[in-house]
Amino acid sequence: MKIIIVGAGEVGYNIASRLASENKQVVVIDKDPGAIRRLSENLDIQVITASGSNPRILIDAGINETDILLAVTDSDETNLVACLMANIISPTTKKLARIRDADFDSYHHRFQIENPHIDTVINPEIEVVNTIRKLMDVPGAVDVGSFVDGQVKYVGIRLDQHSPMAGMKLFDFTSRFGENRPLIAAIIRNNEVIVPRGGNSLKPGDLIYFVSETEKLEKMLNLFGKKIEPIQRAFIIGGGRIGERLAKLLEQDSIKTKIIESDIDRCHYLSEQLDKTIILHGNGSDQKLFFEENVGQSDVVVSVTDDDETNILVSLMLKNMGVENTITRISKSNYFPLLATIGIEKVVSPRLSAVSSILKEVRKGKVLSDISILGERGEFIEAIALETSDITNKPLKKISFPKGAILVCIIRDSQIIIPAGESIVKPGDRIIMFAVKQAVKKLEKLLIVKLDFF
Amino acid sequence: MRWSFIARIIGILLIFLGLSMIAPLLVSLHYHDLARDSFIRSIGITMVAGLILIILSKKMRSDDYINQKEGMATVALAWTAIGIFGALPFYLNPEFTNFTDAFFESVSGFTTTGSSVMTNIEGAAKSLLFWRSLIQWLGGMGIIVLSLAILPFLGVGGIQLYKAEVPSPVPDKLTPRLSDSAKILWVLYGVFTLSEIIFLLGGGMPLFEATCHALTTLPTGGFSPMNASIAQYNSTYFDYVIVIFMVLAGINFSLHYQMLRGKTLAFWEDTECRFFLGLILVLTLLVTWDIYGSVYTSIKDAFRFASFQVVSIITTTGFATADYEKFPGLSQTLLFVCMFIGASAGSTGGGMKCARIIACFKYCYRELFKIIHPRSISHVKINNIVIPNEILRSIMGFMALYINLFILSSILLAGMGVDMMTAFGAVAACIGNIGPGFGSVGPTENFSHMPVMGKWLLALCMLIGRLEIYTVIILFVPEFWKK
Repeated sequence: MKIIIVGAGEVGYNIASRLASENKQVVVIDKDPGAIRRLSENLDIQVITASGSNPRILIDAGINETDILLAVTDSDETNLVACLMANIISPTTKKLARIRDADFDSYHHRFQIENPHIDTVINPEIEVVNTIRKLMDVPGAVDVGSFVDGQVKYVGIRLDQHSPMAGMKLFDFTSRFGENRPLIAAIIRNNEVIVPRGGNSLKPGDLIYFVSETEKLEKMLNLFGKKIEPIQRAFIIGGGRIGERLAKLLEQDSIKTKIIESDIDRCHYLSEQLDKTIILHGNGSDQKLFFEENVGQSDVVVSVTDDDETNILVSLMLKNMGVENTITRISKSNYFPLLATIGIEKVVSPRLSAVSSILKEVRKGKVLSDISILGERGEFIEAIALETSDITNKPLKKISFPKGAILVCIIRDSQIIIPAGESIVKPGDRIIMFAVKQAVKKLEKLLIVKLDFF
Repeated sequence: MRWSFIARIIGILLIFLGLSMIAPLLVSLHYHDLARDSFIRSIGITMVAGLILIILSKKMRSDDYINQKEGMATVALAWTAIGIFGALPFYLNPEFTNFTDAFFESVSGFTTTGSSVMTNIEGAAKSLLFWRSLIQWLGGMGIIVLSLAILPFLGVGGIQLYKAEVPSPVPDKLTPRLSDSAKILWVLYGVFTLSEIIFLLGGGMPLFEATCHALTTLPTGGFSPMNASIAQYNSTYFDYVIVIFMVLAGINFSLHYQMLRGKTLAFWEDTECRFFLGLILVLTLLVTWDIYGSVYTSIKDAFRFASFQVVSIITTTGFATADYEKFPGLSQTLLFVCMFIGASAGSTGGGMKCARIIACFKYCYRELFKIIHPRSISHVKINNIVIPNEILRSIMGFMALYINLFILSSILLAGMGVDMMTAFGAVAACIGNIGPGFGSVGPTENFSHMPVMGKWLLALCMLIGRLEIYTVIILFVPEFWKK
């Protein structure tokens, strides 16, 4: 199995590292010698320092015997041309491209059916903006994601002192809440991931991941003592692509939005593109500007500049000024363990989101999606149960689940079942599981679905 | 400044003007009126003057192009020349005793103002009344636009002349080629005029009067062959037909074009058009409310007369069905303000134009916004299109010049012994190309009693207003003449 990755940025690096650890043949092409060196020093892959859209380079890299081409440079044009050339030279190679410019959005499908026949076009920014939008609406939620085309959501929230759940044992849930009991997938306490059993209890300060039907989400949050309050004023730091997309989305929902952007030309561009949003020219960490514009009064602040350090700093500063709801964009995955300790919890990462959607697209078999949380320390896996698997046709309590793994949801004919001890998984059901990193391998065996690529 | 080019273009336009005098000559022959000889002599003088200019000037090569400066000078001088030669049929007629009056009437016609010095209109020769209407029709869409549509001679330089004659605050060309755009405009204009003639005939108006009125409605001119203007007929049907055509003439013609090309919502989607129509509605309701009871006893009459006066003034047409000087103060004030607002950009109407008013309000709002949010960056947008700062500056400059010229001219006119209300009213009516003003130049009076110098001043105001200030005013800036 051979994969060519064009672009050695953060996305290229992360995918290359995941694939290399799966013993695949990976070739990475990038023009930047610095980025290439970082890859070749750390990973067992082949590297070429050249332009990935150059046909001769593609042939040299062995495009003809390559199964998949991933075009993930920062330039949409380079990605498109790389796919176009690959399509001409080796039409059988699967192609996947990252295209970020919003003006291309409506052409994604045309790229698939016409030249250059890109099998999958991904735009992580769309996903990230949607995630930010969801995070905005769920106060206290640290992480939100969805399965089964949005019918089921998982939410990570921090349990506070006043929550009625604090101190409760999990097996008391059935007697207390009955059918509508929340399904807890993971508890993170003192930076440790616990997959709960009946005897575990919830403590204030815990970060809790639970799964819920999208329609019942509001009720669930009420159980945890959280209310959904529609936001009215939003503040965006950084008017890049994500900031612009988010502002457009917020304008549609008539939320009063202000954007701070440091580049004056970009400010002018934004002012041309956006209608009601107020564009402010200034540095993202300019406290005077924050006071001038009453940032402390806004319901939510989203820091999405290109610079991780600025984003973190701004979020900390605003927490200090009394803004409860801050969302921070982080690109570098090695910052993740640090963030919870300094109190930054609502984090989005377009790069990681790109990595996971690319991996999902290239993954073969019955796994539908695979979402890493907490900087890859745990995974939600959405899969289809096979007849040959040990998991089917048996009451759940008779199945020995590996330690650190839990079945959180069964979807049968678009009906959503929260599993109990007596539940039976039938072949063909969609199941959603959670597993800590160490348990993933064992879970694979149980499912007889190798969590394999290709 | 290449005078030779300018002279040649003016020469060609004069020949063209001479040819257009054949139409009233035919009318004269049909009615056997006394103006026949004056038209024959006018045609002769105008054609000969045009020919002399053409013979004396150099032939233009197809690659000669006119720069912006020359374009502006050409248009301003051409309009003056046309005003002078167009005055000949008036001057050579016994109704006019001096050239000042003839020139005033001619300029008032070409600039679609509609202020008149004639005291007994119905007593004049029919052909002369037809000429009065025809020059408004020619001036409404622009003589140079017309020549661009039918004469290929202007070629490359045409765009400069076009910009000088039709200075739109936000430039828009209907088609990539100028002559095609000009043709579309004139065809639309012609079709509207024909339809109005048919509607008026349908209501029983005689053909001659229907034609004259249609020829002066579409250019938002306002000359009428009747002494009492439209009030003569006292017909609800005629009132509303003319209101509708005045409104159509006050809307940007490129929107009419888009409508015809199948964009049915074009009027609604355009900010300026929405503003224009909304303003007419609000003002009509206000005036109706104001005059109902105090002037008219029936609400139907109040609405009918309110809508007619509001539309007539805001589109800068100047027809009258009622003496608005007998209206209460609120209505008079609103109509006076209408004189400044004017119609849409790209229409045949005058005034400051709604687009500029909108831009001005948005600009002012932006300034206030900037005080509240000192670090904010924002643009003025109309129809979701950003208006660049230089265009905004030119719009603000236009408005400032407009007001300043209004003040200066009013003072000058008052200095000639005219009372204050009349001075303000006459100047506002002439710069805005409306027609009737206030005071002693109201809808039931005329301009014949103005002092001689005052008539020249007002004629200049009309030219300045018609060519949207910059084109004329630039000639008075010394820097313009420096080499």
